[in-house]
Amino acid sequence: MIIHDSKRWLLCVAIAGALGACATVPPGPPSEVVRLQNELDHLHADVRIANNGGAELSAADAAVYALSRDARHLDRDTLQQQVYVADRLVRIAEASGLARFAEQRGMQLGAERERLLAQTDARTSRVVATTTTTTTERRPVRVVSAGEPIPRSRAELMAMQEQLTGMESRVDERGLVVRFGDYQFEPDQPVLTPPAEQSLDALARVLRSDADARIVVEGYGTAGDGTIALQRAHAVRDYLDARGVDMARIDARRTASPDGDRHVDVVIRTEFD
Amino acid sequence: MIRYSFFLAAALVVSGIAAAADRGDAELELAQAANAVQSAERDDAASYARPDLDEAHAMLGAAHDAFDSRDWTGSAMYAERAKLTGTLAGARSRQHRAEIATTEIERSVSTLRTQLGLPGDTP
Repeated sequence: MIIHDSKRWLLCVAIAGALGACATVPPGPPSEVVRLQNELDHLHADVRIANNGGAELSAADAAVYALSRDARHLDRDTLQQQVYVADRLVRIAEASGLARFAEQRGMQLGAERERLLAQTDARTSRVVATTTTTTTERRPVRVVSAGEPIPRSRAELMAMQEQLTGMESRVDERGLVVRFGDYQFEPDQPVLTPPAEQSLDALARVLRSDADARIVVEGYGTAGDGTIALQRAHAVRDYLDARGVDMARIDARRTASPDGDRHVDVVIRTEFD
Repeated sequence: MIRYSFFLAAALVVSGIAAAADRGDAELELAQAANAVQSAERDDAASYARPDLDEAHAMLGAAHDAFDSRDWTGSAMYAERAKLTGTLAGARSRQHRAEIATTEIERSVSTLRTQLGLPGDTP
């Protein structure tokens, strides 16, 4: 009987000891911090974000690490603020990484489109009359057949094109065509985005080096987009003018878009065309 | 003893700086927050990240209210939230716009591939 009571007593002591040990073990980080750590782990597991998160992902890493280290020593208000900060940094890292991934993919696809367009041109070598006009003249332009020596004008345009890295451009029957998509303007506005302005800065440098090149800026849009299509063409012309390309060389106009695609084409032709 | 007193004083000073902001800190945070929100608006966050932009505006308003009440610490904290949420709105807007643009190019590549009789895979 005594032995039996002793065992029971020992069991109670063991349970009490175990509970006491649990009570003295420092608690883990708060649940909000654990959630942030998990979200950050997901970002690192996503190659689109892990490879493109850049400084934003590093900032999120640092914030969540500092929070997990210090959370138990912070007062309630400071903890809430730091959780908010870390949460926003994690989300900024996610959005920035995905944005860069989409931009890089867009550039790859743009290059692919150029390659396919070149294949299309090679298959349809022909002589066509240009639909491009300037204010003073309308001239036919010959498209070069595959394998035919490249004429001086085309070679010059291709040399120009090589300087326009990162821009969507092609050399076709109209000349060197540099395209500014709808996304390079503020939505429904004739206002250039900062990346579009950077592209136009590079284009202006090229155009200043060839004072004889003639430029047509064509604003494309649907039938209902007439005003904004023209305004966007004017915005591009004015920007180039502000960057030292004489406005007298530039003809800006509105052109109906057969597929309803909104964009602005800057068409460059040399004096040899 | 002197050594311990020095460390105690240093710890108090550091924690005081971390916990409280003065008027200058609040003004700086407010200016940075206003810039972040304006930048998000220029990135058309109103169209692509409206909830984040609204939250940034709300936080900026709260920061101004706290500043008017001479609550510099509260103002700096709200302004920091407005700055980060404004930055988030801009980043999400940029993400959505880039994804839309990529989808457009993807569609035209797909059309060209069809015209050329090529397989539909894109890079």
